[in-house]
Amino acid sequence: MLIITRRPGEKIMVGDDVVVEVIEVSGSSVRIGIAAPKSIPVYREEIWTAVQAENQAAAASAVDELPDDVPTPTRKR
Amino acid sequence: MAVTLQSSRFGELQIPAEAVLDFPSGLIGLGGRRFALLARSEESAFVWLHSMDDPDLAVPVTNPWRFFSDYEIELSDDEAERIGISDPSEASVYVTVRSAAALEDFRANLRAPILVVGSHGHQVINHAADAPVRAPLFAGLQEEPSKAA
Repeated sequence: MLIITRRPGEKIMVGDDVVVEVIEVSGSSVRIGIAAPKSIPVYREEIWTAVQAENQAAAASAVDELPDDVPTPTRKR
Repeated sequence: MAVTLQSSRFGELQIPAEAVLDFPSGLIGLGGRRFALLARSEESAFVWLHSMDDPDLAVPVTNPWRFFSDYEIELSDDEAERIGISDPSEASVYVTVRSAAALEDFRANLRAPILVVGSHGHQVINHAADAPVRAPLFAGLQEEPSKAA
């Protein structure tokens, strides 16, 4: 892993198209701005990891576990 | 014109070329690029989102409003711009399903719905409150109606 020291207002280039900027440092929090081409989705890592895990679990679903006819609850959550 | 889909689950299928969906960013963390939706019938609750390129990659999906009547989707402006819509109602919406031996253990991912716009598909992050990654799909079946309120 590349580790770089930056001050607020300073930036990092990832390739030619992605700019990561340190906006503000406050206590243990760092505000970061990311400018990327709109074709590149940007995620918080914990959300990406949770969705990846759920996608993998869904992809492991067995065909014969999925009923053709299911009771359709009309409940409100 | 039809294209061939090889599936480890369903064998070899012929898919109309116009039914092939392009996912520019794939499924989050899984990749894939070209998918097709496979349904046993028009009324099937569950549909398989199946890769055209990987015989093993397929995910069951469903219409979220069939199970969660008050489901809402909020997209970030960046994501709406990325997929080229201003409102989720312009898209066909699916959520991924994790099956299990018992119906009460089925889960749906309300946090990362799949939006199909024309021939393009996108798995997006839903910023609405109360959109869990693992929502029980059949929880209502176990509860008395009086407990729902």
